Amino acid sequence: MHMDAGLGPYRASLGTVMDALLLRSLQSYMRDTFGLPVWQAICRRSGVTTETFEPMLRYNSGLADRVAQHAADVLGRPVETVWEDMGTYLVTNPSYEGVRRLLRFGGVSFTDFLHSLEEMPGRTRLALPEMELPEVQLQELGPDHFTVVCRSRLQGIPRVLVGMLTAMADDYGALCLIEPEAGGKITIRVLDSAHAAARRFDLALPER
Amino acid sequence: MTGANTGLEISVDIAALGDFMPLHLLLDAEGRVLSAGATLLRVLEGETVIGARFEDLFEVRSPGGAITVAEVLDRAAERFRIAPRCRGRVGLRGLGRRLPGGQMLLNLTFGIDLIAAVREFSLTDGDFAATDLAMELLYLAEANAAVTRELRGLNMRLEGARIAAEEEALTDPLTGLRNRRAADLFLERMCSAAAPFGLLHLDLDYFKAVNDTLGHAAGDFVLEAVGRVLRDQVRAEDCAARVGGDEFVVVLPGRTDPQMLQAIANRIIRRLSEPMEFEGSPCQVSASVGIVRSSDFAAPDAAQVLAAADRALYAAKHAGRSQAILLGCTAG
Repeated sequence: MHMDAGLGPYRASLGTVMDALLLRSLQSYMRDTFGLPVWQAICRRSGVTTETFEPMLRYNSGLADRVAQHAADVLGRPVETVWEDMGTYLVTNPSYEGVRRLLRFGGVSFTDFLHSLEEMPGRTRLALPEMELPEVQLQELGPDHFTVVCRSRLQGIPRVLVGMLTAMADDYGALCLIEPEAGGKITIRVLDSAHAAARRFDLALPER
Repeated sequence: MTGANTGLEISVDIAALGDFMPLHLLLDAEGRVLSAGATLLRVLEGETVIGARFEDLFEVRSPGGAITVAEVLDRAAERFRIAPRCRGRVGLRGLGRRLPGGQMLLNLTFGIDLIAAVREFSLTDGDFAATDLAMELLYLAEANAAVTRELRGLNMRLEGARIAAEEEALTDPLTGLRNRRAADLFLERMCSAAAPFGLLHLDLDYFKAVNDTLGHAAGDFVLEAVGRVLRDQVRAEDCAARVGGDEFVVVLPGRTDPQMLQAIANRIIRRLSEPMEFEGSPCQVSASVGIVRSSDFAAPDAAQVLAAADRALYAAKHAGRSQAILLGCTAG
């Protein structure tokens, strides 16, 4: 086991905002779903000296993929599933309602939303200029048939996107087949765009 | 805003006009509404819009003094501000033109009031043209709020960690009392503020015997007990610190009465002299205390006060232990 303070440029190279966001999301997902002791066990196995990742701080590049692999080992399932479930969690968990809302601003229907994926890095930079979202390319192969190609230095990203897309399809009430392929490629078939009622979305943020 | 005049004229039916401009208003030459965009109709909900006069529906905010639509267009056709009389909180910015037939066409926008308007009129994305940047503005406002919230959370977590670290750096882990550094800081602050205080310098008697005969665990047990006694016997504003192996300092702000200080010291000695038991073995300690008061010094400084307290403690030890001695002015 190699030790890694996680925080700061002690070794390897310093990660980006994305690395920190993935670590924080993984932490929330694991703690909410499997409980604090499981998360603590994952952190111990990963050799990190912290159990709390801050989205606004910087961690070592590649740390997120390593911690996720340890999470997969602890849970006894493939790391790809861990990332996908985390992506779904980010869209569906009420404490991350902001994520769902920001995604819903992308379009009035699920296909409209898919077309907005290419704009996502630009939108995100408006709010957080240093945030480098992975490049996403959408290809419309036919009516209701798309491929999304998502390239990132972070291995987990395409799978996180699969989980988020699955949850967003539900959110829009669309029935879809979403299948990950090699090389960060995702195939999407929209079988019924109005399969169920879409979840309510008010443009105005609910008043607190 | 004059484009190249090509002489080209087009006609657009009113439904298409509404699609392009959901916030438009078309008026006849007298200033009566001929048509209004769907979103503008939502803003004016409850009013009879078609056929109504412009000035009955809207209050002109700028240009100042203008009331009728003709006055608005004559003075500021390129950029004017109006507000619906029925919903005065939301302002609208506009651009207007007279059309060849004498009609007047206004196109309006919420501008920076967009967020308030979306909330007040429960607008949806269908209420804006695809070319409108409304969605981007709403998106940006929410994303920005999310980032700010996250930063505020981080600041609070860091502040919490800082306070905990600071607390830890000033605490003696074994007894839970303050440590030497904390006592020095406290004393320096009292001195530099020229605030009156009393100070007890306490040294355990027979502690070495406990350590030697029963071992270090017994010694730690005794020290923890001393910590509890001292915490019990001081007020929240006092500073009780372990400053060495079995040496303690208590600073008592505002306490300069000799009898009062003597009484506090005696009470502490009495409590510490009560028999204790460590794993079945009795361990008996006591304490000697040197007492000084800030009022015994012309201009007290920390080193001077501690040196005097040390002399008082020495005197107490020599007087036969288990007692407290207050060093008078003469010794200062």
